[in-house]
Amino acid sequence: MSAAAIPVAQIKTITMSIYRYDPTLDKKPYMQDIIVEVPTDKDIMVLDALHLAKAQEPSLSYRRSCREGVCGSDGMNINGKNGLACVTPLSEVIKRNKITLRPMPGLPVVRDLIVDMKQFYDQLEKVRPYLITKSDSPDIERTQSPEDREQLDGLYECILCGCCSTSCPSFWWNPDKFLGPAALLQSWRFIADTRDEATDERLDDLEDAFSLYRCHGIMNCVSVCPKGLNPTEAISNIRNKLLTRKKA
Amino acid sequence: MIENDNRPVNLNLLTINLPIIGVSSILHRISGVAIFFSFPLVVWMLSISLKSEESYSLLSSLFQSSTILKIMIYLFLVGFSYHLLAGFKKLLSDAFGIGETLASGRILSWIVFGATFFMAVLFIFYIF
Repeated sequence: MSAAAIPVAQIKTITMSIYRYDPTLDKKPYMQDIIVEVPTDKDIMVLDALHLAKAQEPSLSYRRSCREGVCGSDGMNINGKNGLACVTPLSEVIKRNKITLRPMPGLPVVRDLIVDMKQFYDQLEKVRPYLITKSDSPDIERTQSPEDREQLDGLYECILCGCCSTSCPSFWWNPDKFLGPAALLQSWRFIADTRDEATDERLDDLEDAFSLYRCHGIMNCVSVCPKGLNPTEAISNIRNKLLTRKKA
Repeated sequence: MIENDNRPVNLNLLTINLPIIGVSSILHRISGVAIFFSFPLVVWMLSISLKSEESYSLLSSLFQSSTILKIMIYLFLVGFSYHLLAGFKKLLSDAFGIGETLASGRILSWIVFGATFFMAVLFIFYIF
């Protein structure tokens, strides 16, 4: 979309205050105000506004790919709240013609709005987010009843954008010990899966003071999830499973 | 955080939005710490009041005459009420899964704030 193609009457200027850091040039990050012209006759997404800002400041860096909330690349902190720039309408977040964009909190900044997600992926790897089976493979496939399959709704939809874990104070302070909401949601996704045959080992792995129990249920994760998922509920389900397992 | 890493991290808490449930949780902690540190005063007052009839009336007259002591006890009671109510909220979600959706969690947080405010007003009439 080019701003020049839009008639003047349908344009307004907004200020985008953006976190800038280039490791080759800057010792410290700083906030840069970029004035952008956006159309008023239709709503655009924050990502579209970022493209307009990048047209002025080509060095501005951010991740994006599918631009429709499926790939999970453009998670960022928009006016203090994590979200995907591509599915966040500008009209919902803009305040007094201004919008502030920062990288997702708690992870090292590679450049501008791009963070190093290694810590996030390391935690995901720990929960072994894949089916573990011990019995012999059936001839065709491992089947599930529709009811059992339903148990995975609200779990499998996670796109691993990192918005939840990077909005969680427990993850900020212990990103290496507390698994974080995204990894724990995936953990529950496989504990709840009737085809998985490593439930006990999965639960054993979570039975320390940090991995799971650092969640204090403040639900920042739920309030930012762009897919509307509920990691707090998944964590609570794992906790209940750990407790009932001991009783048995 | 990764060791030997001098890359910046965006973690300026003043710029990060904390939803109401998070506010209620951090206040639960702060009130807990405050209660812990005010325990010596409260235990001291209890022990004096139980010692003898004279010491009880001495404490009673001290309480009636000292506004600072009244304010301290007032703050203790408000903090204690908040901590107790927020603790019940936590128990509800831990034991019964109540308040684990965003909407119900928010409602419960507001109920805790409202009930604490109500108690705070009651204590004003009771103490002062």
